[in-house]
Amino acid sequence: MRIELKQVVPFVLKDRLLQKTSDVWNTNLALLPGEYIKIQAPSGTGKTTFLNTLYSIRKDYTGNILIDGKSLQELSVDELAQMRQHKLSVVFQNLQLFPNLSAFENIELKRLLSPSYCSKEKIEWMAETLGITQLLQQKTGTCSYGEQQRIAILRALVQPFNWLLMDEPFSHLDDRNIAKAAALIDSECKARNAGLVIADLEADKHFNYTHQYSL
Amino acid sequence: MKQLNRLLHKLIYNSAGQARFVMALVGLSVAIILLLMAVQLQVNYYQLLNGKNNQDSVANFLVLNKELTNETVGASSLSEKEIANIKAQPFFESVGSLTPSRFKASIQSNSERFPFYTDIAFESVPAEFIDINNKDWQWDETSAFLPIIVPNQFLDFYNFQFSFSQNLPQLTPQVVKMVVLKVTLQGNGTPYEMKGRVVGLSNRISSMMVPQNFMDWANKHFAPIDGNNKPSRVVVRTKDPGNPALKKYLQSNGLITDAEKTRFSRYRQIVGYVVNISAITGVLLLAFALLIFTLFIQLTIASCKDEIQLLVLLGASPKQLRIFLMKRFFPPNIIIVFIAFIVIGITQFFLGYWLQQKQIYVASYPSFYTLFTALVLLLVIGLVNFKTITNYLK
Repeated sequence: MRIELKQVVPFVLKDRLLQKTSDVWNTNLALLPGEYIKIQAPSGTGKTTFLNTLYSIRKDYTGNILIDGKSLQELSVDELAQMRQHKLSVVFQNLQLFPNLSAFENIELKRLLSPSYCSKEKIEWMAETLGITQLLQQKTGTCSYGEQQRIAILRALVQPFNWLLMDEPFSHLDDRNIAKAAALIDSECKARNAGLVIADLEADKHFNYTHQYSL
Repeated sequence: MKQLNRLLHKLIYNSAGQARFVMALVGLSVAIILLLMAVQLQVNYYQLLNGKNNQDSVANFLVLNKELTNETVGASSLSEKEIANIKAQPFFESVGSLTPSRFKASIQSNSERFPFYTDIAFESVPAEFIDINNKDWQWDETSAFLPIIVPNQFLDFYNFQFSFSQNLPQLTPQVVKMVVLKVTLQGNGTPYEMKGRVVGLSNRISSMMVPQNFMDWANKHFAPIDGNNKPSRVVVRTKDPGNPALKKYLQSNGLITDAEKTRFSRYRQIVGYVVNISAITGVLLLAFALLIFTLFIQLTIASCKDEIQLLVLLGASPKQLRIFLMKRFFPPNIIIVFIAFIVIGITQFFLGYWLQQKQIYVASYPSFYTLFTALVLLLVIGLVNFKTITNYLK
């Protein structure tokens, strides 16, 4: 799945972008299938805005985003739902878990939206890899932020996707857990021939990036 | 899908209270029962008024004449225009003029045991208004007898008053029909005698009735030439003597009839208002209950708005959520409409049975209109649910 950005300028960043240039905003940029993209930028420069725009949560921008040649703005709600179920997965910065559901239920809910892709055994295996097996029956509202981050990462991996969008996914993880999570993400992306877009504050070597952009 | 619904149910269920849902359903049930009851009442009311079993053959015929006042004394006859006007009214099915005899007449019995004599006047009416189907009800100049129909009140008056005062025997209807009477007509000076016989007793018109062709013949031969030929009374057949419109027409045209037969119009009007008010109340209550139910759906969706938004973010399609929410909110409505219909059915069965004991006949099962209303209600509730959910998911 090819993503093209054509002179995209979010309303909230309009004034700021008049004073400086960006690798992403107000330019033409193509994200090709299977590419690993790193967006590195300090706080407040629009990392979350960028990922939310790609995920079509925000539509307050000028310019155009094309998904396989089709404008993102023109997708119907049902097409958007289909895209989120089968082509685009996400790890939100604020994680967006249901606090009243257990970790397993949070993951299961996502799995059932695009059924027959990932088995329960696979979930258990991935949970073990991430070291959260013991948390599966616990309500996510009672888990630590680092634990919730791993649950959110696991949830993003139970569906089919062409692109995985991640917004500071390792901010509360220690190096050991980051390494485990990054290895799992990498293998899952490879298995799907999928690309990933990760937005973070600092430079890192978690993945073998195709491109690194700054905002 | 089942597992997904279970998880969605857990999410939505935790956000919106089950107690509120049940309360909204109870409110809607009461409103539906009231509305269906109002429809059934209207049907029952219509059946009571128009059902064949409940019709009174006497009440369907009314004799109309002008009310006698100082102004109408001596001018009580009805003009052709007035009769045409009566015929034009929708509540009268047919109208017949009553022709009075304009000659003197008397009847007496031939029997020694029954020395009865009285002066009398006859009236005639077209045969279709006569309720005695008797082969003897015909006359021509060669006939041996003049057939006469006597009002039941006359026989009662004779049996329970006149016979005592004159020391005469009481007579059963069978005996009366066997007595041969001497009928004497007087008009142009010479008395004309003929035999007469009672062929039937009737409650319909309280006059001594003779066949129309006899009346025409007798009036021609015995009435004064310059007499008034116009009828003073007409007999009308009506489906509904209690019709308030009929009563109003009579009043506004200075006509009167047997008040006994029309006095129900007032009661009917009142009952009609009550039934209509119950229907209006039912509709208002239903609207109110639908409003509550709609608000409840909105409240439920609003109280789990965050969850729904997150579900949409994760890729749940609005269509999936709409189906899920419809599955949650609509099926209980089918059950309550069904229960409401069953309640109406049971009530109607016992009402029918109870009224039957009082010789009042209504169907012992709910009407088609009630069933139709129930189905329409279900459709309306379904549409309201669907619309609310769709609007809210936007």
